[in-house]
Amino acid sequence: MNFDFKDVFPILHTSFSLPFKEVNDYKLIETVNSINQLKLAHTIQALVFHKVENYMRETVAPEFWFHFNLSNDVEGFSQFYKAIDLLHNYFTQFLYLMRNVNVLRERSRCTEAVYGEKNAVQVLKVIIRATLLSQLPSEHNKIIEHFYETGLKMNDGHFQEKVCEVCLKDSINCRCLNCFYETNRKMVDLELLEPLVGQVLTSLIYTHIENHISKTCKDNFDNSFINILEMWLDNFIINWLHKVYYCGQSSESQDYVTIFKRKLTNFLYETYTKMRINQLFNIIIEYPESLPALEDLGKCLPKTDLRPLLTKKLQKAMETRLLHPGVSTPDILTAYVASIRSMRVLDPSGLLLEMVTQPMHQYLRSREDTVRCVVGSLTEEGLNDLAEELVKGDAVHVDENGGSDEESENWENWMPDPVDIDRNKSSNVRRTSDIISMLVSVYGSKELFINEYRTLLADRLLSQFSCDTEKEIRYLELLKLRFGDSQLHYCEVMLKDIADSKRINHHIKQDTDYTEKNFSMSAMVLSAQFWPPFKDEKLELHNKIVSQMEAFTGAFETLKGNRTLSWKNHLGIVDLEIELPDRTLNLSVTPVHATILMYFQDKNEWELDSLSRVVHIPPTVLRKKIGFWQSHGLIEEVNLNVFCLMEERESNRANLNVDVVVEDYESESIMASTQDQREEELQTFWSYIIGMLMNLDSLPLERIHQMLKMFAFQGPTIECSIQELTQFLDRKVREHQLVFSGGLYKLPKGDM
Amino acid sequence: MKVTIKNWVGVATWRWVANDDNCGICRMPFDGCCPDCKLPGDDCPLVWGQCSHCFHMHCIVKWLQSQQVNQQCPMCRQEWKFNNK
Repeated sequence: MNFDFKDVFPILHTSFSLPFKEVNDYKLIETVNSINQLKLAHTIQALVFHKVENYMRETVAPEFWFHFNLSNDVEGFSQFYKAIDLLHNYFTQFLYLMRNVNVLRERSRCTEAVYGEKNAVQVLKVIIRATLLSQLPSEHNKIIEHFYETGLKMNDGHFQEKVCEVCLKDSINCRCLNCFYETNRKMVDLELLEPLVGQVLTSLIYTHIENHISKTCKDNFDNSFINILEMWLDNFIINWLHKVYYCGQSSESQDYVTIFKRKLTNFLYETYTKMRINQLFNIIIEYPESLPALEDLGKCLPKTDLRPLLTKKLQKAMETRLLHPGVSTPDILTAYVASIRSMRVLDPSGLLLEMVTQPMHQYLRSREDTVRCVVGSLTEEGLNDLAEELVKGDAVHVDENGGSDEESENWENWMPDPVDIDRNKSSNVRRTSDIISMLVSVYGSKELFINEYRTLLADRLLSQFSCDTEKEIRYLELLKLRFGDSQLHYCEVMLKDIADSKRINHHIKQDTDYTEKNFSMSAMVLSAQFWPPFKDEKLELHNKIVSQMEAFTGAFETLKGNRTLSWKNHLGIVDLEIELPDRTLNLSVTPVHATILMYFQDKNEWELDSLSRVVHIPPTVLRKKIGFWQSHGLIEEVNLNVFCLMEERESNRANLNVDVVVEDYESESIMASTQDQREEELQTFWSYIIGMLMNLDSLPLERIHQMLKMFAFQGPTIECSIQELTQFLDRKVREHQLVFSGGLYKLPKGDM
Repeated sequence: MKVTIKNWVGVATWRWVANDDNCGICRMPFDGCCPDCKLPGDDCPLVWGQCSHCFHMHCIVKWLQSQQVNQQCPMCRQEWKFNNK
C-alpha cells in the first residue's frame, strides 16, 4: 500500500503551504479506503480538526485582528474589508480539506457530530467563529461601526460629491459600495455576520433612527409623522438591511431581517413617543395647531409602555412651567383648558386626564381669583375657549353620586380603562371631559361658582349703568342650561331689575308731579334680597341731590303703592360739566367725587376733618377721593389737611400734581368680597356656639364642629370645614370673647 | 367754577312699607317673594288686612282657601278683610 494520507489531508504535513495541492478523486477514494481498513478514520479526522484549530489560532486569527489595530477612521472601511477578505480566502482554501474530510466521514460511516455539527464545512465555520471570538480585541467595535456607518451613509446617498470619501476615487470608479456588499456576502457565507456585527449594527441603526426622528419632527407639531417614519424605516433601513443580510439567498437571514424589523419598528415608536412626551407641554400649549402630534402620540401610546412616563413627565413640566406664582391665573386656565382638550385626544377614557390634571386642580384651588377668572372668561366677549365651551352646552353633573344616563347611552363605544395607569391613585368618581364641569368641580360646588358669577354680574351691571342687558341675558340663558334654573334664579331677578328700572325711570319722568329742578335724575331700582350684599359705605350727599332724590322717591311711591326706596348714596354714576375760566371739563364720576366737588363749590376752602364730618367719610378715605380732583388740577392741598379749590390752572403746579396717585375706582368691586360674605355666614354660627357653651360649659373643637353639623349646617352653602372653624374660634379667642385652655373652648367668666 | 350736573344715575333698593320684615305665613322676606313665585315686587305683591297685618298676597289667598268656615287672619284670628287703602 503505497499511499500517504498526508497528501489527501495536506494540513497534517509538518509544513504545508496554501493553497493546498489537490489530489485527484481516484487517489482520494483509494486513500480513504485504506484509512478505513486500518480503522483510523476517527483518529485522522480528529487530527485534521486539531490541526485546523491550531492553524486558525496561531495564524489566521492574529492576522485577522491585526487589521483592527488601526484607529484611523478613513482606513477603517478598507481595513475591515481586507480583514474579511482575508478570512474568506482562508475559508475557501480550507473548504478543499473539508470536502475530503466529508468523504472520509461518508465512507467510514462516521456519524458522530463534531462540535454539534455533522458536516465538516459547518465544523470549520464553528472553529473559525470560536477562534476569532476567543481573541476578540477590545477595540474591534470601532472599525466595524465605522464600516457600517459608511455603508449606511452610502445608502442614504450622502456621497454626492464627485470624489468618494473612502477610496478617494471618482464616484464613477469608486467600488466602495460593491466592496461593502461583497464583505457582507462573505460574512454571511462564513455565518459571521450576526455574531460579529449584530450588536454594533443594532446600536448603529438605533442612533440613526434617533437622529432621523429628531431631525425630521423635533419642532414640528403641525404634521403627523408616524406614517412617514414607518415608511422611511421600510424604505431605507429595512431595505438596506436586506442588502446587508444578502437576502434572497437563505430563508434564515430573511427571518432574521423580519425579526430585526419588528425590533426596529418598536424602537422607532418608542423613540418617537419619548420625544413627544418630552415636548408634551409645548404640544398642549399649542393646541389645536398641534393636533397631528397629539394624534400620533395617541396612536403610539397603546404600542408602547410609556403611559406612566407620560404622566410623570407632564406633571413635572406643569409644575416647573405653569404652577407657580409667576404665571397669571388666566394663563393657567388657558393651559388647563388646552390640556383637557388634548388629553381627550390622547385617551378618551379620561383616566389619563384625571391623573395629569390633579396637580392643576390642587393648585387652582389654592388661587383666590380662580373662580372669578373662570366666570370672567366664561362671559367675556370675543373668541374665547371657555365661552365657546359654554355655547356647546350640556348640563353640568357636579353631583357626588355621578352616574349620569349618558354613559349607558353609548355603551357600544365603551372602552376599558388603560391598564398601565397606577390604579391606586385613580378614584372611581365620575370622569368627565366637559371642560366647564371640570372647572366647576375644581371647587366641588356649583354654589360657589354661581355666587361668584352673581357678584361679577352685579359689578358689571352697576358699573356700566346701561340698560343694554341683552348680552347678559344670553349668557344667563346659556348658564341656565348648564346649572339649572333654580341656581340662577337670583341672577334672573337682577337682570329683570335693570330692565324694570328703565321702565320705572320712564314712568317717573312722565309724572306731572315730579319735577327736575336742575338736572336729570334716574335710578337703578334693585331688589335687595336678590343682589349680593353691597359694601357698606356712608356718604352724606349734597342737599340739592338729597332733595331731588326725595322727589324721586315720592314719585316712586305713587307709582308703586306701599313701596319706598332706600338709596345707596355711594353707588351710581354722575355726568358732570365743570366750567372753569380757562377750560371746560366733561367727566363721569362716582357720587363721592361729585359730592366733594359740590361742597367745594359752596366754599372754596375746606379742612379735611370738617369736610369729613359733613360727608360722613373717614378722613383717610376722603383724602384719597380728593386725590382724584387733585390729579385733575382742580383742588390743591394748600396747607397740611387744608384743601383749596383752584380756579385757574397754573401750569407749573399742574405738572406737579400729575404725580398725585389717582385712585383706580373702577377696578374695585362694589360688592362685598366673598371673604366678607363668608365672615357673615360664620357669624350666624356664633349664637349656636354661645348657646352650646352656656349649657355645656366647655367643649373641644371636634364636638363643636359635630354639633354645628347636626343643628346649624342646613343650607347647601352654609358649611364649614374644621379648619375654618378653628380660625374663626381662634379669632374669637383673640377678641376675648372665648377662652381656650387645655384643648377646650369656654366662655369667659364675666360674660355669663 | 361752575359745576353742572348733567345726569345723575343713582342706585336704590326698593322695599315694602310694612310693619314687619317677613311674611307671617311663609316666613320669607317681604322684599323677596313667596315660595311659589320667582319674581318679587309687582309679580308677588303684599296685601294688608283691616287688622293691619300684611302678607304675600299668594300666601294669604292660599290660607283663606284652606279655611272652610271662617276667614280669619292667621296672626290675630280676627275676621280677615282686605284693606284696600
